[in-house]
Formats: sequence, C-alpha cells, structure tokens
Amino acid sequence: MTTISFFDRGVERLSRFLAQRSSRRSVLARLGTLLAGGALVPLLPVDRTGGGRRARAEAFAAGAQTKDPTQCNYWRYCAIDGYMCSCCGGGPNTCPPGTQPSPSSWVGSCINPDDGQAYLIAYRDCCGKDSCGRCACLALEGEMPVYRPQLNNDIVWCFGAPSMVYHCSSAALIGRA
Amino acid sequence: MGARSWLCATVAVLPLLGVSPPVGAQQTLESLPPEAKLEVSEEHTTARLGEPKPHWVYVLDPVFPHLIASKVYVIDGDSLSILGMINTGYVPNLGLSPDARQLYVAETYWSRGTRGERTDVVTFYDGDRLEAVGEVELPRGRFLVVPKKPDAAVTPDGRYLLSFNMDPATSVSVVDLAERRYVADIDSPGCSLVFPTAERSFAMLCPDGSFVDFTFSADGKAEAKMNQPFFDAEEDPVFEHGVVSHADRRAFFVSYEGVLYEVDISQGRTQLAESWSLLDAKDQAAHWRPGGWQLLAYHASTDRLFVLMHRGPRWTHKHGGEEVWVFDVSRNQRVARIPLEHHAISLAVSQDSSPLLYALSESASLAVFDGTSLKAMGVMEGIGDSPFLLYVPGE
Repeated sequence: MTTISFFDRGVERLSRFLAQRSSRRSVLARLGTLLAGGALVPLLPVDRTGGGRRARAEAFAAGAQTKDPTQCNYWRYCAIDGYMCSCCGGGPNTCPPGTQPSPSSWVGSCINPDDGQAYLIAYRDCCGKDSCGRCACLALEGEMPVYRPQLNNDIVWCFGAPSMVYHCSSAALIGRA
Repeated sequence: MGARSWLCATVAVLPLLGVSPPVGAQQTLESLPPEAKLEVSEEHTTARLGEPKPHWVYVLDPVFPHLIASKVYVIDGDSLSILGMINTGYVPNLGLSPDARQLYVAETYWSRGTRGERTDVVTFYDGDRLEAVGEVELPRGRFLVVPKKPDAAVTPDGRYLLSFNMDPATSVSVVDLAERRYVADIDSPGCSLVFPTAERSFAMLCPDGSFVDFTFSADGKAEAKMNQPFFDAEEDPVFEHGVVSHADRRAFFVSYEGVLYEVDISQGRTQLAESWSLLDAKDQAAHWRPGGWQLLAYHASTDRLFVLMHRGPRWTHKHGGEEVWVFDVSRNQRVARIPLEHHAISLAVSQDSSPLLYALSESASLAVFDGTSLKAMGVMEGIGDSPFLLYVPGE
C-alpha cells in the first residue's frame, strides 16, 4: 500500500511506548491529528496499563495455558479474534509461508499464568492469502469499539503490509506490560 | 433442451462412443401412460423479484472462511424462502435505496483474487433482477473490517452513499447515487463510522466518546462541528451498532453496561436527548448485559426498541443474545422479553404496520417473530456460511 508507506513500525513503537507510559485516563485521547505524508493520521488514545485492565486480563489467564498455541486458551490470545496462524503453518509470531506480518497492529495485554506477569502482545495479522479458515478464536479482554481502533480486533490489521487480504491472526510478544 | 430432444441427442451420440442404445428404448417411452411422461417442452426462465415488499430481509454473509467471496441473500420473511442472492467482494457493506428498488454494495476486489491490483468500488444492483447495473470506484479505498452496518450508509433521501474509510487515516467517501459518480472524501479527525443525520449531514463516533457532526454540499465540501463527550469511552463505550430512525429523527446507542442514549437528530446534528439504564438492580445482579453484533432494532411507529441481551461478565460484549428485550422508549420501560432458542448476534425489524422481528443466530439461522404479538413465526436454517448483518427496506 504505497499510500500508507509512512505507516511503518514506528507507529507500533509509539503505541508500545504509550502503552508503557500513558496514565489510565490518558490526555492523549484529546490530542488531535498529526499531519504526515499529506494525510491525516489520527493520534489515538492508548491505554493498556493500569489496574483495571490487569483485572480484566486475569479472567482469561485463569483458564489459560502456555503450551499449545493451536488452542483458543493459549495465554497470548486473551483478546484475539480470527483464525490462529498456529493452525495454518505459522505460529504465534510466525506467519505461514507466502504471507507477511503486518507492520501495524493493535496491542493487548495478557498475563502469562506461569509467572503471573502481564505482557504486551502485538495482535498482527498475517496478510496476503484468503482466510486460513482453521482454529477460529474470539476473546474480548479489553476489546473496544472500532472508533477506538487500536483496541479493536475486528479491523483487518494489515495496514502497511504488501497486501490487505487477511489470512490469520498472530500474537507476538513485544514487552512487559 | 426438452426431454425428447435430450433423449434423441443421447441416442445419437452413443454409437460414436461405441455403446449401443438399449433395444426397445423408443417403444418403452411411447408405451408409458400419458400422465407418466415429462412435459416435452418447457420454457427455462429467470425469476425476478418484482416490487420490494416490507417483509423482505437482506442478509449479508461475509463468509469468514472465504472472505474474498461474500454474499447477500434476499429472504422473504413471510414464507422464509430465499428469493435470490448477490455475490459480493471482500468485507462488503450493503445499502438500499429508500424504495429498495436499488441495492448498493461497497466492496473490495483484487484483480487476481487475493493478488494483483486492489479496487474499491460501490456496485449498483437492480433490486428486481439482482444484476449489477453500474459501479463507482472509491479512489481512497474503504474500511476493511468485519462488516458493520455503519461502515456505509445511504442518506435518507437516497441521493448519496457515504462510505467510511480508514487507511489508517479516517475519512468518508461521498458517492452521488443519482449521477453515479464519486464526489470526494471528507477527512475526519480520527472519528469513525458514519450515521446520516439528515439529507446532507452525518455524524461519526470519536475516540473520546463524542460525536463529530458534518454537513456537506454537492461538491463534497464539508464542515465539521466537534461536540462534548456524551459517554465514557474508556469505562463504558457505546456499541458501534446504534440505530438511526429518519422517520422519528432520532437515534439510539447502547453501552457495554446497558445504558441507552437517545440522540435527537431533528436539527441535522446530534444532540443527546436522554440516557437511562436498560437494566434494573435485579437484572444487574443476574449479570444481564447487551451484546452481539447488530444488537439493536427499532420500530419507529410504535416506539419499540429491541435489544439482544445475554448473561455474562464484562468483556462478553460480542456474545450472542439469549433473549430479545423489548422496550417502549416513549415510557422508558421494558415491555417484554423474548427467549431465543438459538443465541442471536443480529436483529432487525420491518418498518411496516404489521412488523416482523428477525433474529439472526450464530449458527446461520434466522428466527422470525411477529413484531407486535412477539409470537414465534418460524425459523429458517442454513443461510450461507456465516451470515452477520440484516437490512430491511425503509430503515
């Protein structure tokens, strides 16, 4: 997508930074827009820390496991929606052959039940082939409507990838929450 | 080809294949009693839908396992039969003209199926023949997401189709349906979806819990007016699937926790009229909450609002409804509860004076209820692969 080539990994880094630094009721919600590359890029509110979200993530973690990423209760999938790449020739942080990870993502926070720690998860789609069609999972911890896009799991998260065709959903670790 | 000519053709071809026809085949056919014989010649025609009926419902199926090949079914709610189907592209949106004689599909294609050049387009369909009769390209693209109704909307006079776009900058593409041309994209300050508020105005939902109101002119020039937040977007956001009634000039949105917001659009912009909880203390104690996908339906002339409800903790907001709760919004009171055999994700109600209520289940079935008596009228099973959205004429 040449029109959004400016939308690179920097945005995810920004999200990650904000996720780690922003206060619960972030003033960033009120920031307007950033003019970049001739297009209006919304600076979106990012709020993934704070006690409230941890409490929410714990509900999923209570029934989660860390061994089998083909199951919907795999710990990183606390807010995932779609077909799991682990069932389609890829893994939680590997895209199946011939598909590409999106450089953009939304970021959730899940608790690893083995160590009780919360981690930031980048929910990147793998893009470039039609739906994998296997292992459909839907988890909703902290999931928000699409007018808060960086917390929404319905969007085809392929912005900036060579193709906007959704294949499967992955869940890569990007840091401590 | 008639039955007899097919038989003659088969008999003529068999010797070429080295197969002899059975001896006496001709005599056997002729010795049959007249009533056992097939009609020897009949027309093979193509059905047409005719004048749209208020009890038709249009079911959009994104076909999750094969997203590039989605479908829209036209179903007669009275007979529970499929009247026809349209092939649609990647995560499409449907729009109906006010008289439902024209259908519009906002959709995305690639020239080689999943590869090649991407084209975003609004395709025009003749609602009688279900044939494509024109298209308008969307040069800035469209929002690619699990289809939601407010991704695209037709203005109440039927003149414009407004298609939300996120790439990830947000805008609304304006298509002139009468002239079949793309007009312009109206840039949005990070707000999403599109809810027409009058002939040349629409609202969008913003990340801070406010609406932004736009008015636009025929050349696509727009003016925006920001508003104060009317809900807490962090703690209790409203579902995307609000309902807008142009007959009543008002809209309804419901929050994750069951607060109903009534929005006055009579001035062509959004003004919060009132808000109240759909849940009393007993309902809350039993963990009832709204949920699903297209979870609200509104029947304008009787002030009845239908809401999909289920029991569960927070973060179950997309779980299917166990019941439909019926509210009289002129009295802010619940008047009925309808238990659902199949948990439903989407609701719609026809807008005529003998309304039908439709509940679309997670298992591809459509339950139909009398919208007045709330009596169950029937269930249609096996509608496509993963039907998700319902549209009715005159919404």
